[in-house]
Amino acid sequence: MAFASKSPWVIHYDGSSCNGCDIEVLATLCPGFDGERFGVINTGNPKHADIFLVTGSINEQNIEVVRQIYDQMVEPKVVVACGICACTGGIFHDCYNVLGGVDKAIPVDVYAPGCAVRPEALIDAIVKGIAVLDEKSAALEKKKKEGVA
Amino acid sequence: MAFIAFLIIFPLVAAAALALVRAESARRIIVLGAGAIIGIASIAFIVTALPAYGGKIVLIAFDSEIIDHIGTGITILIAVVVLYFAWRYKNFWAGIIATIQVVLALVVETLFAHQLDVPYGLYFDGLSLLMTFIIGVIGSAICIYALGYMEDFQKHEPEGARDRRPFFFALMFVFLSAMYVIVFSNNLIWLFTGWEVTTVCSFLLIGYTRTEEAIRNAFRQIIMNMAGGIGFAIAIYCCTAWLHTVSLYEFIAYGSMAAPGAALVAVFLGFAGITKAAQMPFQTWLLGAMVAPTPTSALLHSSTMVKAGVFLLVKLAPVFAVCEVPSIMVMLVGGITFMMCSFLAISQSNGKRVLAYSTIANLGLITACAGVGTPEAVWAACFLILFHALAKSLLFMCVGTAEHHIGSRDIEDMDLLFDRMPRLARFMMLGIMGMFIAPFGMLIAKWATLVSFVDTGEVALIIILAFGSAATFMFWAKWLGKLAGIAGSPENVELDVHKTEWGALLLTAVLTVAACVLLPLLSYVIVEPYVVSVYGVLGQDIASDNLWIASICVIFVVVVLFGGIGSKKTRRVSVYLAGVGDNHDERTFRNSLSGITTATARNWYMEDFFGEARVAPIGVWASVLVMVVAVILAFVGVGFGVPVLM
Amino acid sequence: MTLLYTLIGCIVFAIVAPLVGCLIAGVDRIISARMQGRVGPPLLQPYYDVRKLLAKENVSVNSVENTYIVCALVFTIVAGGIFFSGGNLLMCVFVITLASMFFIIAAYSARSPYAEVGANRETLQVMSYEPMVLFMAVGFYLGAQTFDINGLFTLDVPIIANTWLIFIGLLFVLTIKLRKSPFDLSMSHHAHQEIVRGVTTEMSGPTLARVEIMHWCENVLFLGWVGMFFVWGNPLSILLALAVIAVVYFLEIWIDNNFARMKWQFMLKSAWIVALVAGGVNIAFLVFL
Repeated sequence: MAFASKSPWVIHYDGSSCNGCDIEVLATLCPGFDGERFGVINTGNPKHADIFLVTGSINEQNIEVVRQIYDQMVEPKVVVACGICACTGGIFHDCYNVLGGVDKAIPVDVYAPGCAVRPEALIDAIVKGIAVLDEKSAALEKKKKEGVA
Repeated sequence: MAFIAFLIIFPLVAAAALALVRAESARRIIVLGAGAIIGIASIAFIVTALPAYGGKIVLIAFDSEIIDHIGTGITILIAVVVLYFAWRYKNFWAGIIATIQVVLALVVETLFAHQLDVPYGLYFDGLSLLMTFIIGVIGSAICIYALGYMEDFQKHEPEGARDRRPFFFALMFVFLSAMYVIVFSNNLIWLFTGWEVTTVCSFLLIGYTRTEEAIRNAFRQIIMNMAGGIGFAIAIYCCTAWLHTVSLYEFIAYGSMAAPGAALVAVFLGFAGITKAAQMPFQTWLLGAMVAPTPTSALLHSSTMVKAGVFLLVKLAPVFAVCEVPSIMVMLVGGITFMMCSFLAISQSNGKRVLAYSTIANLGLITACAGVGTPEAVWAACFLILFHALAKSLLFMCVGTAEHHIGSRDIEDMDLLFDRMPRLARFMMLGIMGMFIAPFGMLIAKWATLVSFVDTGEVALIIILAFGSAATFMFWAKWLGKLAGIAGSPENVELDVHKTEWGALLLTAVLTVAACVLLPLLSYVIVEPYVVSVYGVLGQDIASDNLWIASICVIFVVVVLFGGIGSKKTRRVSVYLAGVGDNHDERTFRNSLSGITTATARNWYMEDFFGEARVAPIGVWASVLVMVVAVILAFVGVGFGVPVLM
Repeated sequence: MTLLYTLIGCIVFAIVAPLVGCLIAGVDRIISARMQGRVGPPLLQPYYDVRKLLAKENVSVNSVENTYIVCALVFTIVAGGIFFSGGNLLMCVFVITLASMFFIIAAYSARSPYAEVGANRETLQVMSYEPMVLFMAVGFYLGAQTFDINGLFTLDVPIIANTWLIFIGLLFVLTIKLRKSPFDLSMSHHAHQEIVRGVTTEMSGPTLARVEIMHWCENVLFLGWVGMFFVWGNPLSILLALAVIAVVYFLEIWIDNNFARMKWQFMLKSAWIVALVAGGVNIAFLVFL
């Protein structure tokens, strides 16, 4: 049994969002939607997290930050782009400083569009992310075994 | 007997040789040889003496007019030395006190002492043997350590400074000899001579650098300790006047039967012990002693000087067990000192000052144990003396070596020492753990202390111990944490540490661990027989099973510290710096203006809670009050014949 | 003989305590969720978390952090083994302090700004609760006439009869020891605190899993301390002790959910004043009356 899917701890990073999506991300963890039913915990620390929730677009200023947080997450890990800005750059896509969606900086596993992204969509995205997490976890397990052998 | 004479005289011979020799190589041979001989002789003495001792005090018939006269001569010589320095540096008080003391000493010598024969001039028992080990082995190790240290020290001195090392080393060995006199003398007047020699030796050692600060602190030391010496002289006077004896053994025998006048003598001897053990309000002399080269501090703090103070107090424990007034005085002064100095240590960032406060605090605990005076308390006090001597000498030597290689004795500057001086940092961590945490001996002794306080129902001391221990955890743990930090691989700066320094460090480290592991055995062979010889009973002690559990834990911790750390290979990652890290090993990050800022973290010193200005006066005045009341009560007791106070 | 009992105790504790501690943690999270009007995670969620952490890649910021954590875990188990095999309470208290020290050093060794602040606060927490814990041991001794836990089973009345004031003091510092709000200064289970995750900031994957297991064991041990006040010669008293433990733990969860975090000054002052009043007065009564 893969335990990765039973305890997806998330970290939330606000790239250059208008804060609409951030409110929804946190609302997802509130009693109304109760993400902890699925073991979701907001850790606020990349070293503890499995799922990276990024809101807002990537720009010149934050690209390094997103990369560093991603690098500091421990394998297996999944990235969810939350909201249309995180997916593609959204209405900010042609700003002078905006580079585009999160995939300009790091590999994205799940895209959750919306302006702002709704909690239901987010929960769906996280569940999809969990599936990816399971796959990666299995791959890591295999690699560990091979490494031993 | 021959061994005792050898142990007292041989260091003096070595000292004379060292005073005359100026060549570095010759000095090296003499110190190494003499140190080794003293150490081996001490151990040989302990091994041969143990069967003879067999749990009883061994009195040695020895009385000599000539030695009496030599003692008088030394006392006068000491006064002359102090008077000379007092005149030279225009220190009024030191002059006055030296004059008073020489007069008192001469009065005692001429009027009383020679009428009273002490047929058994020397003796030894379990506590003396324990002290022999501490003086002979740890003291010599420190002398050997000093070889390398003083070489570096001389290099750091300004150009053209006089090389006064022959003087320095000679004093160190005189110190050892004087300590042997103290622990083997049954004749109180001989003991007093040794007592004064240690005082003046540390005066000269503290003032070694002859800077303004050193001289000021040296005078503070001599004034306080000579005041204690006056207390000692008064005690001898009272002892002859009321009890008609100057034999320590007989005095203790009278005292533990609560003979009239014994309380007064015990109060004054207690006072002398308290000054020498740097208890509040006299703690400032030991703090001031930090200006001296580190081997001096190590010697003063761990194996000699202050240990002479607590040695006397522990010897007097049976007297304190029956005499209320001196008992409460010693107990309270010790307790107050333990708690207040533990608090004060939190507020210090200078490593040597932290060590100094911790020394004073631990001596306070030993003093309190002596004051309680029950068999359990004495058991605890003996082990506190032993483990404190071992761990503290190790720590002082570590700090001294670190200071010469990182250029600072500030704890904040010891950041990353685990990387920069890997071996030294491990020794230092061992020493720190040895000072405050279970399962190391120091804590086991503290445990026994707690049990004895509970058994005697000393509520005040229980409370003091609980809060003091909590503070102890704080100041040691944060220092330990500072040492433990690891980042990148900075340059290793310990490659040119002298071999003699490593040797001494290794020896004390091994002894610390061995003593902790073999604690149950030591207790069985030396300390328990001593307690039985004094009290006739052992009292309830910690079950030896628990001691063995502790031994196993010690082995585990030591193996981890020196063997297990750093062997496992896992992928290294950088520390979290909120995603804006620049150089993670240096802890620099990009700030909001795209500049580079370094994240710094200092330990907590909590000046508002535990600062010197706030805490020290409370302890000082409380102790002064306790002592003044005790002296008055003791005089009232004798003067009006109040049985309760006698 | 004691050595053998202690060894067996340690082995049993090493197996049972994580199981019990894990269930307690699961119940804790469900009750907390219900208090907040949520459904909450499954009962075995803490177990899933730890299994996941163990399966993650093993990385560390330095080569020693993991060793220190293993030491902390081992000594926590030793402390538990000593306690539940009926051993010496003071020994248990000292060994658990040793475990705390290793935990603190592990955080310091990372040399991360967040972990270091966490370690400083953790040290302060130890200093805050240590006097009360020592008073607890002394009160135990005065009540039971021995430091050995198995001495409880020869008593006619539980020690709570004489030491209820100390018990209240213990409840106060228990909040610190269980790392519950308002005294969860050094690391918090609640998301987003100002120092990230404090002490455990740099610990990840299997290392973090060991920290979690250590906390389970710690919690079982501390609840054992609570229970021992209510045990006496009658075997049924153990049921009473378990009931009291349940009530006390519920109280701690309630406090956790209803109080915002306090400043360290408040923690130090209040914990020491409580220790002085509750411990000092109670011990004085036991000694003098």
